[in-house]
Amino acid sequence: MKLLKDFSNIFRRYDLALEKTGEAREISKDPILQKIAKYVVDGDDENIIPAIKEALKTKTPLEIINDALIAGMNEVSRLWDEGVYFLPQVILSSDAMNAGIAECEKAMGKSMERKAKVVTHTAEGDIHDIGQVIVNALLNANGFEVINLGADVPVEKVVAACKEHKPVMVTGTALMTTTMTAFPKIAHMLKQAGLEIPFVCGGGAVSEEFVTSYELGIWGKEASQAPGMAEDALAGESWQSMRAKWNG
Amino acid sequence: MTPKERIMAVLNHQKPDHMPCFGANSTVTYDQMEKMQAFWPDGHEKGEVMAKQALAAYTVLGFDAVRVPFCQTFEAEALGCKIKSGKEKGIPGIDHPPPYKLDDTPEFPKDFLSRGRIPELLKAVKILKKELGDEVPVVAGIIGPFTIAGALLETTTLLRATFKKPEKMRPFLEVAEKAGSELAKALIDAGADIISCEDMTASPDLIAPSTYRDYEMEYQTRQFEKISVPKILHICGNVDPIVEYMGKTGAEILSLEPKASAKLAREKCGPDVILMGGVDTATTLFMKDEDTVKKACEEQIAQGIQILAPGCAVAPGTPLGNLLAMVEVAKRH
Repeated sequence: MKLLKDFSNIFRRYDLALEKTGEAREISKDPILQKIAKYVVDGDDENIIPAIKEALKTKTPLEIINDALIAGMNEVSRLWDEGVYFLPQVILSSDAMNAGIAECEKAMGKSMERKAKVVTHTAEGDIHDIGQVIVNALLNANGFEVINLGADVPVEKVVAACKEHKPVMVTGTALMTTTMTAFPKIAHMLKQAGLEIPFVCGGGAVSEEFVTSYELGIWGKEASQAPGMAEDALAGESWQSMRAKWNG
Repeated sequence: MTPKERIMAVLNHQKPDHMPCFGANSTVTYDQMEKMQAFWPDGHEKGEVMAKQALAAYTVLGFDAVRVPFCQTFEAEALGCKIKSGKEKGIPGIDHPPPYKLDDTPEFPKDFLSRGRIPELLKAVKILKKELGDEVPVVAGIIGPFTIAGALLETTTLLRATFKKPEKMRPFLEVAEKAGSELAKALIDAGADIISCEDMTASPDLIAPSTYRDYEMEYQTRQFEKISVPKILHICGNVDPIVEYMGKTGAEILSLEPKASAKLAREKCGPDVILMGGVDTATTLFMKDEDTVKKACEEQIAQGIQILAPGCAVAPGTPLGNLLAMVEVAKRH
């Protein structure tokens, strides 16, 4: 008879009725990087700092950022997509990743190079910025520099930020039907200013029909689409071709 | 049957003359404001105007109940949150910064019921009761413990705490539960027939289902034990993962968005719980036409909905015809 020595698989609590079970996959073969990535996946922004300090003795800051911090956050995105992770876990992981990136940037003596800028905001009159919090975390994790304008942002401020930062993409989040009317105004003002920037809009009450009714608008169904859309915008795709790809 | 008899019949598991239709959340729209000549922001701040606007649900829409208030900020304001006016077009919201940090001990003010706009809300209920007497029920809203706690701490801080320091949430949930319960009692004293508890932040869209089960459910249940009239529990979004627990809180009625499955709610909660819901307030009620609204209502009724209602708070720009279409469908059942 085969004797069972390891009980861990038997007594593990699987909350099948409540939450999907899913394990974080191994992120790096390198134990030092894996340890850091695991702290990102676990959302541990305290223990990650000593682990990075230790890792910096043998690894470059960029290696740690790309192969542990961002790789870890990508794994978090996957767990979120599959319904294993919930919003609080994504926020905590994003905290841990950002703490880690700051530590690596300190070692580099400069900010990490980003792919491009994306301006994000939550509509004027709307203080529900949870959707934007996720978008920011995911864009950040995918190497974009997020110009985070926060919640309840006036139309003019969004346009001014686009003029100043020349982002590849701008996003707008709104929970309420009363506030999403700011989006067509922003789109119109961007057009007038000669800024044909893809303007991804989404959140609670925002529907595809509404967003595709104005120029520049691309409807964002899920926050998790943001990095893919930003990659398209970075590759130079127009708002028309992005809309054709992501909507309809 | 009077609207009240109709709703009571459903609550008592008897057959009403037809299905009742009313909102668990705000049903005020700009069209109704015009008709009543009562506008925002006064409708959020002054009892008389609030009552006048709420009355439109019965006089203009033909709904079976009226509902106050139209925002989710009364308890939070009385507990010390800063409020941002929605001005003429919007609803008041909670402004930054929040009054507390996670390590703080929140206080429940002794004069809670006379703080902020609560006296005006109570005044509105009294006026409505006087106007409508025993014919049309007055639904009065409170906010669930988790949502109030989110306002006291800022929602993202509370969300972090659900995984990092869940025990630290307890003092906030205690105060928040007490706030809703005290307000509910005062609303009932003022004449409210039904208490509707909105708990947006307890949605699985925001927190893990286990957080609802292990924390919020306890406070929700405690609160509902203290409320003597029928209770509606409304949690936004797809509540499938927690609907079983919602059914155990003591709420007689669960208000569901169409994103959640009414069929599953019935399976998980058994025959006693009353299911309320119907149309998606954004994508259907606000955006589409009457025929689409009617079809959406029929679909939800087929899924087991017993009280027809907008799935969540009605967008104020919603066309009048779409709300009237709901009543038409209810009368066919």
